[in-house]
Amino acid sequence: MTGVVSARVPLWRDVRVLKWALQLAVVGLVAALLVWLYGNYVENTAEQNIPTDLGFLDNPANFQITGNPLSQNAPVRDALYEGLLNTLRISVVGVVAATLLGTIIGIARLSKNWLVSKLAAVYVEAVRNVPLALFLVAGLLVVVLGVFPTIQEAWDLGGLVIVSNRGVAVPWFDGAGYGLLMFALVGVVTGLAVARWRRSVSDRTGALARSGLWAGGALLLVMTIGWFAFGYSWTLPELDGRRTVGGMRVDPSFFALFFALVIYTASHIAEIVRGSIQAVPRGQGEAADAVALSGFQRMWYVVLPQAFRIAIPPIGNQYLNLIKNSSLGAAIGYYDITLVAQTTVGNGSPAVPVFTLTMLLYISISLVTSVIVNYANRRMALVER
Amino acid sequence: MRITTRKALVPLVALALFGAACTSDDGDDATTDAPADTEAPADTEAPADTEAPADTEAPDDTVEVVQGDGSTLQAVQDAGVLRCGTRDALPGFAVLTEDGDHVGFDSDFCRVIAAAVLGDAEAVEHVDLETADRFTALQSGEIDVLVRNTTWTASRDGTEGATFLTTTFYDGQGIMVGADSGFETITDLDGVIVCVAQGTTTEGNAANEAARLGLDWEVRAFESTDLIQEAFIAGQCDAWSSDRSQLVALRSEFPDGPEALAILPETFSKEPLAPAVADGDTEWAQAVNWAILSTIQAEEFGIDSTNVDTFSDTTDPSIQRFLGLEVEGDDGAAVLDPGLGLPTDFAAQVVSQVGNYGEIFEAHLAPLGLERGLNSLWNEGGLLYSPPYR
Repeated sequence: MTGVVSARVPLWRDVRVLKWALQLAVVGLVAALLVWLYGNYVENTAEQNIPTDLGFLDNPANFQITGNPLSQNAPVRDALYEGLLNTLRISVVGVVAATLLGTIIGIARLSKNWLVSKLAAVYVEAVRNVPLALFLVAGLLVVVLGVFPTIQEAWDLGGLVIVSNRGVAVPWFDGAGYGLLMFALVGVVTGLAVARWRRSVSDRTGALARSGLWAGGALLLVMTIGWFAFGYSWTLPELDGRRTVGGMRVDPSFFALFFALVIYTASHIAEIVRGSIQAVPRGQGEAADAVALSGFQRMWYVVLPQAFRIAIPPIGNQYLNLIKNSSLGAAIGYYDITLVAQTTVGNGSPAVPVFTLTMLLYISISLVTSVIVNYANRRMALVER
Repeated sequence: MRITTRKALVPLVALALFGAACTSDDGDDATTDAPADTEAPADTEAPADTEAPADTEAPDDTVEVVQGDGSTLQAVQDAGVLRCGTRDALPGFAVLTEDGDHVGFDSDFCRVIAAAVLGDAEAVEHVDLETADRFTALQSGEIDVLVRNTTWTASRDGTEGATFLTTTFYDGQGIMVGADSGFETITDLDGVIVCVAQGTTTEGNAANEAARLGLDWEVRAFESTDLIQEAFIAGQCDAWSSDRSQLVALRSEFPDGPEALAILPETFSKEPLAPAVADGDTEWAQAVNWAILSTIQAEEFGIDSTNVDTFSDTTDPSIQRFLGLEVEGDDGAAVLDPGLGLPTDFAAQVVSQVGNYGEIFEAHLAPLGLERGLNSLWNEGGLLYSPPYR
């Protein structure tokens, strides 16, 4: 019986077989293309005696990373690692600042105050229509080299901050290391737990949760306990000849890159926030008014939670853009992973392995970011139910 | 294996066309190269070498033989233009003028190679490269030769896939400060910011020198010399470190005038600036090398662009050989063809169209205030020495 059926539908006309065959053929072709390209690469580099292995990672880097104590004799591996850390630093700080600025401007665009809304509109239109690279060069040439004073005439802001074109020095923790970071993490976890508890109290009793305030207070408390328990202190920056000592010095290139990335990305996030707020049904705001919530409460408890649910996926894209755009910092001497890769190739490391490695690192960062954003998206989506 | 996959792919995958456009040339070369490379020179060039004095048509034969194997030399001669990697804004070495000409010491050595290989000093396409991109351009075949004040080092020879040739300029790294800064010697520089160009040997040298002298320097790298100058003027850098020749050149063009800057007396590294070609093509490397050497040999002979014509009736056999004139031998008069794949009169073309080493130096580097120093002929106390042309 079955034999008869299979004889009636020959293999080359069986849709299932054809589907599989087509897919296998496509996979095979792509694989063959890659093998062929790789073969060409190996053969062409062998002709020129260019190494294709990862042995270069142990060679001395022979350059210094600005603002980093790493010796020029440290291996390329360490230089790439420091470059990766620099990429992560500018990305984390940039994402946080761009989100805050973008949200504020997005809300301001919807303000009933004519001046505020028009200013926000001008900001968005002016900034998002100018190339990012221009902001970068302007940040360096105009702000850092043009506006900031020389070290001899540095601005001393109340002994706390020293601004010069060699960097912005700010007070910083003395001997701060992973210990303090651990306390910050414990503080954040405690804060989240406290916020959760406040929400449950609010659900039971109907009192205002004020979870943000409670969580912030808990974080501060844990940090303060850690501070005294471990005897941390902080240092103020001081002028010492042509340098500043003490505190933490933010490099001019970091400053210019941060400035450009935040200003630029915030303009895009602002538009997303504005659109998302407008996508929340009008009745929601009116209902908030009807139960006599204040303007802030209406925004914070009713409109924004629903708006962010809509905004998270597109804002996540902007985060990815910001991370990838941070590679433009190479143009102004910010030693992110891209610039370290470029420099080490110029110093004798083989280009193909170095840039393959760099691309893999960017992909990893982006995928991790996507996972975090997707997680947040799922959590927010559940809230609505 | 590779050939069969390519045959299978090209008709099938439209997507592969892009990749194929980039790589199939190399693939074709590679497959046809192997026999041509090993057989052609062995079979036909060796006899040409020995018989050349008797047979004046030998050079033509050699060229035809070489045509088979698709080497860089042949590719350049077929294209009729030399792609020379250089830069556009280093005074004295290579500057792009308002008229679109490349003027300078390095630019002239591009012309020297073109005059030798193509017989036309102006058949050069000057390709402006950033410092960090130069070796990639050479490896990928975007340029035929790199003449871009590049220091010859072991690891560049080894891992960048570059073959360095005769040094055109012996340099050393120095350091430049503001004239009113109060810095007199290198040891005065402590706790300072030293600015350098990214991706150069300078970057590592400066850090090593500071470590050796026990000085506390922060070495800050910039993408271009324009940016370093901006940073220097704004006071972000205390000192500017580079090859001394570059410092002299940059100082001469400084917006506030050269007297606003002072170059400290110490030199702390060896920086032989040499042209480079891609590894794996000895014939091309030799051709370029002898083009460069001919400028040195010409100066040693006292031949320059103004008097080269007067040597046509010289009786000195070594000059006759050098200029591709007939030399009286036992078997009668003949022109020497050393089998480099260059025209026999390449040296005469180089000298008449561009000049000898001294002329090139005088035209571009002397006006900046650079002394000949190490870049004098060997018999005048310098390092310039050409092997004999015979």
